[in-house]
Amino acid sequence: MSKGYFRYFLNKLVWLFITAVFAFVLNFILPRLMPGDPVAAITARIAQGMSNSTGMKEVYEQYATLFGTNRPLLEQFFLYVRNVLQGNFGSSFSQYPRPVADILKSSILWTIGLQFPAIIVGWLIGNTLGALAAYLKKGFDKVLMPISIFISNFPAFGMAIILMVIFAVDLKWFPTSGGYGFDMIPNFSWDFIVSVIHHYQLPFWSIVLIAIGGQAIGMRSMSIYELNADYVKYSRFLGIKDSTIVRYVFRNAMLPQITGLALSIGTMVGGALVAEIVFSYPGLGYTLLNGVMGQDYPLISAVTLIITIMVLLANFLIEIAYGLIDPRIKAAQSE
Amino acid sequence: MKHTLQQIFRSGKFVTGFSIFTALLLIVIFYPLIVRDDPLANIGQGTFFPPGVYVNVYDSINAPPYILNLSDAAAKRVASKLGNQERKDLKEWLVAAGIPEDEIDITDTAKLLDLWEKNYDPTKNIPGMTLARQRYFQRLNASLQGILSVEGITIANPNPQTGALEAVKTVQQADYVNISQVPNVRVLALGTDNFGRDVLTELVKATGVSLQIGIVAGIIATLIGLILGLLGGYVGGTVDDIIMFITNLFIVIPSFVLLILISFSIGQEKRGAFTIAVVIGFTSWVWTARAVRSQVISLRVRDHVNLSKLSGHSIPHIIINDILPYIASYVVMALILQISSGILAEAGLSILGLGPRTTEVPTLGLMMNWAMIYQAQILGKWWAYLPVLVTIALITFSMNLMNTGLDQVFNPALRE
Amino acid sequence: MGKIMLEVNELTTKYITRFGENVYAVDHVSLKVEEGKSLGIAGESGCGKSTLALSLMGYYFAPLHYTSGEIIIDGQKITGMDPDDIRRKILGKEIAYIPQAAMNALNPTLKIIHFIEDVIHAHDPKATKKEIYELARERFAILGLPEEVLQKYPVELSGGMKQRTVIATSVILSPKVLIADEPSSALDVTSQKMVIKMLKDLMEKGFVKAMIFITHELPLLYNVTDDIMVMYAGQIVEKGTAREVVFDPLHPYSKGLMGAIIVPESGVRNVKLTAIPGTPPNLKNPPSGCRFADRCKYVQPECKVRSIDFRDVGNGRAYRCIFSEEQLRKAYQNG
Repeated sequence: MSKGYFRYFLNKLVWLFITAVFAFVLNFILPRLMPGDPVAAITARIAQGMSNSTGMKEVYEQYATLFGTNRPLLEQFFLYVRNVLQGNFGSSFSQYPRPVADILKSSILWTIGLQFPAIIVGWLIGNTLGALAAYLKKGFDKVLMPISIFISNFPAFGMAIILMVIFAVDLKWFPTSGGYGFDMIPNFSWDFIVSVIHHYQLPFWSIVLIAIGGQAIGMRSMSIYELNADYVKYSRFLGIKDSTIVRYVFRNAMLPQITGLALSIGTMVGGALVAEIVFSYPGLGYTLLNGVMGQDYPLISAVTLIITIMVLLANFLIEIAYGLIDPRIKAAQSE
Repeated sequence: MKHTLQQIFRSGKFVTGFSIFTALLLIVIFYPLIVRDDPLANIGQGTFFPPGVYVNVYDSINAPPYILNLSDAAAKRVASKLGNQERKDLKEWLVAAGIPEDEIDITDTAKLLDLWEKNYDPTKNIPGMTLARQRYFQRLNASLQGILSVEGITIANPNPQTGALEAVKTVQQADYVNISQVPNVRVLALGTDNFGRDVLTELVKATGVSLQIGIVAGIIATLIGLILGLLGGYVGGTVDDIIMFITNLFIVIPSFVLLILISFSIGQEKRGAFTIAVVIGFTSWVWTARAVRSQVISLRVRDHVNLSKLSGHSIPHIIINDILPYIASYVVMALILQISSGILAEAGLSILGLGPRTTEVPTLGLMMNWAMIYQAQILGKWWAYLPVLVTIALITFSMNLMNTGLDQVFNPALRE
Repeated sequence: MGKIMLEVNELTTKYITRFGENVYAVDHVSLKVEEGKSLGIAGESGCGKSTLALSLMGYYFAPLHYTSGEIIIDGQKITGMDPDDIRRKILGKEIAYIPQAAMNALNPTLKIIHFIEDVIHAHDPKATKKEIYELARERFAILGLPEEVLQKYPVELSGGMKQRTVIATSVILSPKVLIADEPSSALDVTSQKMVIKMLKDLMEKGFVKAMIFITHELPLLYNVTDDIMVMYAGQIVEKGTAREVVFDPLHPYSKGLMGAIIVPESGVRNVKLTAIPGTPPNLKNPPSGCRFADRCKYVQPECKVRSIDFRDVGNGRAYRCIFSEEQLRKAYQNG
């Protein structure tokens, strides 16, 4: 690892830490900024949903200890951070007495398994198409670009619904909801894996399609910009092969697209969560919906925190990888 | 200015986007002047009435009858009850009940019905047939009763003294009413939703509200972004460092997470459409701030700004006269994007159940949310969700087209 | 008279705009450069000199198109050759190009040595990396560039160093003809001098056999090139030896160009600064008569009507004006 890159890495690591702390603060403070006593409001909500008075009291006490509501705000915050770092998010209201951490454990995996590959695949396909549109121009560009603009402006849930109506409701090729057959229990049997793959397709492709549109547009303008760059003309006049030049151009156009991905991954994940909801996919989006429906404060708080941390981590990893690929980063840091 | 406008309106993309958007806007403004119904009135008793013209049956019976002898009337009547699918279903049951397949001719209506009438027994248990399927055949059988009859229907009233029915009039099969003589006809161009509301009226209202949400959110986001960007870019120094720090923080913290947290914390009762718009505005200014800042930094060192500084103009004067005009086109584009992403943000929030409270006004997101809770997409009630999706797509698409058009006018590098 | 290295006869090329209009930016240009000689081409920006530089390469890509005329390099006619043959056999090997903006002429994400590898492989796929490295190292050493440059990315080099790297790379295959398009214009004075010295070195050390140097600073050419041509609105308006054109310009435009720049050069120092009023004509619809007529102090009614011949006055001197040499010299003396 060169000195320049090490400095870059350190820089990003510190930034990850700062943003993570900020995420904790926001998650902690936002509900407390609202008028009224949050714990009172929370208990009022519990009271609506729970007829079991002993259970209610238990929740209240557990919650009061968890939050340390009678202590100063700063102390409450550290208590909160410590609890979270230990994986203790308290008990769910709507699925009492199941711990929130327990509910989240499985849904995190479903969400990562769905969104990570979908965003990467969408990014790759989108960039390839955008580059082709810039290079081939004419017909391909004329057809691809309006479609891309249309799709990229389409809400992710809309794409999900349309795919669902066509391929699940009408053609019946794929199931309409769930992450696996409703009559199954997760295990490593062949049947289960097939069922998971079968249920995976529609949510996956709806996220991919949305990602393709935006990426293709970005890559197209970047490629057009690069194709007109001075180094392209110079390389041509030195007799360098077109295929080599195309390689230069796409590599250079791709680099800003990587940072673009890092910056837009938050928005993409947001859209994808809603797509999960459409398919009742057992991931974080669906868990979040359940939390909202059940007025389940601990669940919502935990989901939003985890999504934020996931996005921050993804962002960090992309930036780290970017630093490895783009020589300009090292050069800029070692100056 | 005039020249710029001319150039903008010469861009095909902008004009297309602008036309779509204006058309939507005109509908939103003029439709309520023509149809004055309450968009949230539950007119339908039941869920998801399909689109069409609804003619009052009572009024039709009392309207003056006209006799029209149309040769295909009977065939049409039969076909509406007994389509191809139904014929195949009848055959399926008959075969399952043990009738030889070659005796069944599904093209011969009279024979088929005859065969059916003779053999069908609702109590008969056919092995392998689900209960739902059995029910279906019972319903089908009921609908086929009297399908080949040529008699009219007698309308009768109970005698107030005896309670016995007394025929009032007979409706013949060849009787027609003139629809203009039926006082109550209701066009439900997009049917009704799960609550029995007229989808079209609701959709127009929802489009209006969503646009308002988008505009309020967009203006707030653009204003915050503009002010922070100007401050950071022009003042520089510590102010800029602080603003950049905050901006970078909010760029990586996903804005919809903030939206969810804030919306949930506000609570269902306090969440009006306006509140939601304000919340969206306050969580989506980051990109504008960043872009305005970088533009201002490049403008700050230009000659005309330096000249203005040397002439001793105040900072507000310089910003208004020497900076703002140069970033105006950019700010307009940012505003357009913010409006369309504000509309999308509302829709996403509403689907999560965190949108505006549901009792006052519809929004595009709420309509989507209702359709999905009642599973319109799975039940095949397309009119409850598809028009909403198309409207959202048209709004965002038209705005993006306008933006691309503007971009091509203001950034010549992108022109092909 | 030496061997003719580059001969261009009546070369015409055009731009096709996106509205389908033809713009003839190089209009029936003829020139000859002998072995060991250099030719300067001067003119304002927009006069077509950069387009001429591109056109001389014989390798055309949109929006520039070949129309008519021929280019002969060392007896080999390259106009009419298959573009891929030109790329493989001519570009970089027979004729090379130094671009105007060296700042961006190098692919930012490629190490210099890798770029040189691509250049050589485009012509000789069998060359080994070791051979290429040896060649590059040797060539850089002769031209006074440090060996470390080879292992660097363009961002790590200063402006002057980048320009010299570009020059060294352009001549890596020892081309016969070198076309330098304003190679020194964006540099500071010290770097400018180094670049000019380097170009002279190239000729002296025999890495190139003939050179065309394009600039908007006509007086600069006096120090650098043997002959000078002045270009205006796509046409050559005057040619002669450097001394003749600088000290005894015939065409009113050359005269104006000399006055447009202050140069600390004996003999021209006392000349008044007289920028030429007006701008070059729009080449979409060039004027039918003399193209300079609208801006010419000495314009006559017939200038605007009839086309003006390129008048040859012997000894390689020629100019495009209706007045005789004596009339022009007399007019200039009177101011």
